[in-house]
Amino acid sequence: MELDDLKNNWESANNQITNQNILTPKSINEMIQRKYQSKIKKIKYPELIGAVICFIGLNFIGFNFNKLDTLFLQIIGVLAILLLTIMPVLSFLSLKTFNSANDFDKPYVDIIREFANQKLKFLKYQKINAFLSYLLLVTVIVLLPKFFYGSDVTINKSFWIFAFSLGYIFLLFFSKWVKTIYGNSLKQAEKLLSEIEH
Amino acid sequence: MDKQDVFIKSIQENEKLIHKVASFYTDCKDDRDDLVQDIIYNLWKSFESFKHNSSLSTWMYRIAMNVAIFNLKKTKRKVPTVPIALNILDFPESDSNEFEEKLQTLQKHIKELNLLEKGIVMLYLESKSHEEIAEIIGISKTNVGTKLSRIKDKLRKVILQ
Repeated sequence: MELDDLKNNWESANNQITNQNILTPKSINEMIQRKYQSKIKKIKYPELIGAVICFIGLNFIGFNFNKLDTLFLQIIGVLAILLLTIMPVLSFLSLKTFNSANDFDKPYVDIIREFANQKLKFLKYQKINAFLSYLLLVTVIVLLPKFFYGSDVTINKSFWIFAFSLGYIFLLFFSKWVKTIYGNSLKQAEKLLSEIEH
Repeated sequence: MDKQDVFIKSIQENEKLIHKVASFYTDCKDDRDDLVQDIIYNLWKSFESFKHNSSLSTWMYRIAMNVAIFNLKKTKRKVPTVPIALNILDFPESDSNEFEEKLQTLQKHIKELNLLEKGIVMLYLESKSHEEIAEIIGISKTNVGTKLSRIKDKLRKVILQ
């Protein structure tokens, strides 16, 4: 079986459909209209929900900041506020890359290059966000007992033993997951770019 | 005839082209229907800027294939779509099961090619000349020949494995 055999088969399949018309003026009109409407309605629900959660978290820490009575807890609090601000911004920035309007009237190879570059940029944003989420989780573990029970877990030795061992195991799986999810896609995009140039 | 009528007539005259590109870059009917609409929408957006420097079908191939690339990265957030009755690209049934199997294997490997190779194969299957492929893809005619023979070798090797 060669590509030429497939070509012959492809041609015979095409000959069978020569006289079929599926698209009517009405359906073409609808496609133009619906697409136009869908562009207006396009709301990024997951990102929006994520941003709202971050905003609520940010306000919660802000309003309860006076409960953080040690310098260490205050630093962690500031760090959490910073993370909750940066993460939605990064998320929307990556979406902007993802959804940026494209001029399709260009050679195919230019569009592939653009696609691969946008994909690389998007994946890098996502990768940063994944690691920031991990950091946020750490800050939340430290802050929550103080906010809800008024106790500073950081002075408890068993907390640190528990946190370090559990955190280490979690980080091990987490970094492996990030590497699998984003690493392969990044490699593919980089490979595609290098193949275009050769 | 106004611009919209001319556009609709052009689409109807070349609809086979749109369906074939959509079918080549997708795996299921829903994705194919979405892509057909995305292609038509983008053809409409670019229709005014079509300068007749190339033939209408060459221009349509370029837009359709370029839209198909960006359609690949969209998430599965569905928008309302116009249903299209489309099963035209199923290959005719073959008498030979062995041939059918080989055909499917070849199609599977074509789907695994990178985007540049996939685009070249698509146009090759469409019996486009090296000049036309070069014009749509944006590489030299010699490069088309070289890449095509590399792709054929690559496919031959994976099928023989």
